[in-house]
Amino acid sequence: MRFLVALWLLSLPVAAQSTLAVCASNSKDYVVGAKLPPSGVFLNENGHWRHVGFNQPFIVALDYDPADPSTLYLAAGNGLFRAAKHGEEWTQLTGSDVTELRDVSVDPTDPKTIYFAYSHGIRVTHDRGQTWEELAATLHRRYTEAVRVDRAQSKRIVIGGEEGVFRSEDGGKTWLIAGAAGFQILRIEQSPQHACEWLATTQGAGLFASHDCAKTFENSGRIGVGRDLYSISFDPTNALRIALGGWGPGVAISEDGGKTWHERNHGLPRPDVWSVIFDPNHAGRIYASVQEEGMYVSDDAGLTWKPAGLEGSVAWRMKFIP
Amino acid sequence: MKYAVLLSLLFAGHASAAVPTFQQRADAMIDAYAHYNGPGDYGYAEIAARLKRHEQPEWCSKKLEELLAAPTGDMFWMFPVTAIAYLDQGQLSDSARQSLRRVWKTYMPYRGDTENHFLLYYSCLYLMAQYWPDAGPESWYNGKTSQANMEEARQWIESWVKLTTTRGQGEYDSPHYMGVYLLPISYLAAWAKDPVMKNRAQMMLEYLIADYAPENLDGLFVGAHARIYEEQLVERWNGVSTDFGWLWFGLGHPLKLPANYVLYYLLASAFEPPEILKKIATDRSKPYTHYERKRTRNRWRFYDDLHGPVYKTTYVRREYSVGSDQGGALQPIQEHSWDVTWHVPDAQGIQNTFFFNHPYSSMKELQTFFVFPPDGAIEGIIKSKKTYDSPDKILGGSAYEKIVQDQDALVALYNIPAGTRFPQINGFFSKDLKEITEDRSGWIFMRGGDSTYIACRPLQPYDWKPFGESKRLFSPYLQNGVVVQAAAANEFSSLAAFGAAIKALSLEFETSPTPRVKFRSLRGTLIEFTYGETPRLNGKPIDYAHWPLFGGPFLQADVDSESLTMTYGSMKRTLDFKHLTITD
Repeated sequence: MRFLVALWLLSLPVAAQSTLAVCASNSKDYVVGAKLPPSGVFLNENGHWRHVGFNQPFIVALDYDPADPSTLYLAAGNGLFRAAKHGEEWTQLTGSDVTELRDVSVDPTDPKTIYFAYSHGIRVTHDRGQTWEELAATLHRRYTEAVRVDRAQSKRIVIGGEEGVFRSEDGGKTWLIAGAAGFQILRIEQSPQHACEWLATTQGAGLFASHDCAKTFENSGRIGVGRDLYSISFDPTNALRIALGGWGPGVAISEDGGKTWHERNHGLPRPDVWSVIFDPNHAGRIYASVQEEGMYVSDDAGLTWKPAGLEGSVAWRMKFIP
Repeated sequence: MKYAVLLSLLFAGHASAAVPTFQQRADAMIDAYAHYNGPGDYGYAEIAARLKRHEQPEWCSKKLEELLAAPTGDMFWMFPVTAIAYLDQGQLSDSARQSLRRVWKTYMPYRGDTENHFLLYYSCLYLMAQYWPDAGPESWYNGKTSQANMEEARQWIESWVKLTTTRGQGEYDSPHYMGVYLLPISYLAAWAKDPVMKNRAQMMLEYLIADYAPENLDGLFVGAHARIYEEQLVERWNGVSTDFGWLWFGLGHPLKLPANYVLYYLLASAFEPPEILKKIATDRSKPYTHYERKRTRNRWRFYDDLHGPVYKTTYVRREYSVGSDQGGALQPIQEHSWDVTWHVPDAQGIQNTFFFNHPYSSMKELQTFFVFPPDGAIEGIIKSKKTYDSPDKILGGSAYEKIVQDQDALVALYNIPAGTRFPQINGFFSKDLKEITEDRSGWIFMRGGDSTYIACRPLQPYDWKPFGESKRLFSPYLQNGVVVQAAAANEFSSLAAFGAAIKALSLEFETSPTPRVKFRSLRGTLIEFTYGETPRLNGKPIDYAHWPLFGGPFLQADVDSESLTMTYGSMKRTLDFKHLTITD
């Protein structure tokens, strides 16, 4: 009985509070200037999707303020937005000097510090977006697709761009190549269980893993070579389970911490996946966004899939918000 | 000689015969919308035109509220709505005006990803922030105050003007998108209250018109273009630039329904070019070569510099033009790198142009200029740019094309890596080319209209394929090229005589291992060009380092100068953007 109570207490905060937020485009018949079907930020509330805030075609990543999770940060074509009040109240935090943002990462230990990756560099604010500093001046090529702050070491920033994975130990003042040199990085994620475990996906060169706190990334050589891997999700309920999403592999799952991978696409309309995420509230539940087919969900870690709404859309990124 | 005199009389007659005045042309274009009485309506454009004419305010109010109930179009929505706000002048109902105010809070336009998008977005944001100068952050879609929006917009507009007057336009010389630049600048010239912004915009209008004036032939925008659509690529009359050529200079023939860009230009400043620009635009009494340096689109990846230079050469004479850039993937998807375009008395429905290209379709090109992920990008592009990934396309530049031009002679070389999608070159042979003659020498001779002879020498074997009413030369060789020489028909007694003169010119070439041409042009210039090397003219390598921002008999500007001097005979006019002055 005591064990059951303990389990209940353990699961209560996550189960009661986590909401899946996605940034999605309904892009099937859209070109710039055309009528835009509902696109932007959607919250999954009891299995139903609610569109919040503005209709926007190019919101490609989101994060939240750990001090106030009802405040989201959105990386968009127009710039970085703060979407307060559960995504309803938007303020543009950037000006004309940045465009076509690619990623955003809030420092979990210092919510005033926010990084974003964009078409021509990386920027940081230390005052919640009032002022910004460019961090890419010393990089050979500035295009940056992915950025993450190390949750265990806030001065450590890991970025991915046109020429590989780079790491900074001083908050972005200086950069060192960390791996995947010469390859376009598509996504970087840090393990929620083991802070020194990182993964990076690439365009065409497969998966790269770091086991030394992002100092070095080595090609795993086991998945996605010759294809493009767009998404990484570590299962918060199972430290050995990891999911990748990509075009071609669809959803690939590892049950042994990345040693082996299995494509699990049964029930998906096509194996072209933009984003995947494990549900921290339900062990074994995983969501996937399939190219212009909408959301799919699996309750058995990808063995079988069923539709989960947002038909016709592409969800570029998903995040569970506490 | 008699033929030449007759032609000059014909042209003189055409130019002066009952061409309406600028004001008459402008009025007719506005009335096409204001007094439209066909089925349906033209939405915002019709509202704006009627407000300009102070006609039917009740209809305008009702229609505006109807449209604002479901706004769409992003920055292309901002420009009609901004014009309506400024043309209102007390005519709209309170309810319509409240809808107009409310929608700038509830609808967030996408800012876009091109310079024309940004210029539209920021010019309109500037003017609407000026319109509601005290509005707080709660009143705007982006949560910024009017003051903050105006300042952000001002900074971008000023930076764009500086970049353009130092390094050239990024979306240069587009027969379509020229309208999207003229429109917002016309707004600022008319409606900006800040005298500095207003003055800068008025000068910029002249600058943009000057950019077009020497590169038009009978009102057709000729030479290399950053962006063009297929319908105007083959039928040069059929696009936005036609309306501006007609409006400003009375050249050519306007579109049946004027493009709405020219309408909004007129609803705002309705700027009439100064006399010197009219002279530059219409005097084709002497052949001339015009040079421009422009700028590539933002290259997000694969290059160390965000922008690279574009070197343009445009030779213009009464009978035809030959224009080019240096080749390469300078712009994505819609680049047009070279052509010969010939005079016809009425270009409506006529495909009076000739060119080749390599049908380049490349993920690398898209990822250079866009932030697209690699998958789904090409299928995304062909939603709106249908021919991008088609082997028979004739639109688009190529990373594997290099070009040199001297006056009316041009050499284009192609060095296409094995494995490239679409390993061939395409030549567009218009339905309106006459007397196409494939000579045993390998030259092809032809006549464009009554005015122009064209010779072209493909360097590799080819086949013919149908292309609508026209035909396409198809040459499936990786190392390839074409030599082109144009001449006025009145320089020769016949096409055969022209052909004989061309065959007498010295031409050496090889295609392997690297395409190379050595050609003595009809005008006596020795052109030596090896793919990947700097071309040589009369033994001297072309000096790209000193290529002017504008050069030639009519326009002069140095790179980084922030000024432009226009000259015509004894007339001279200088636009100085550093000091915001105009000197005559």
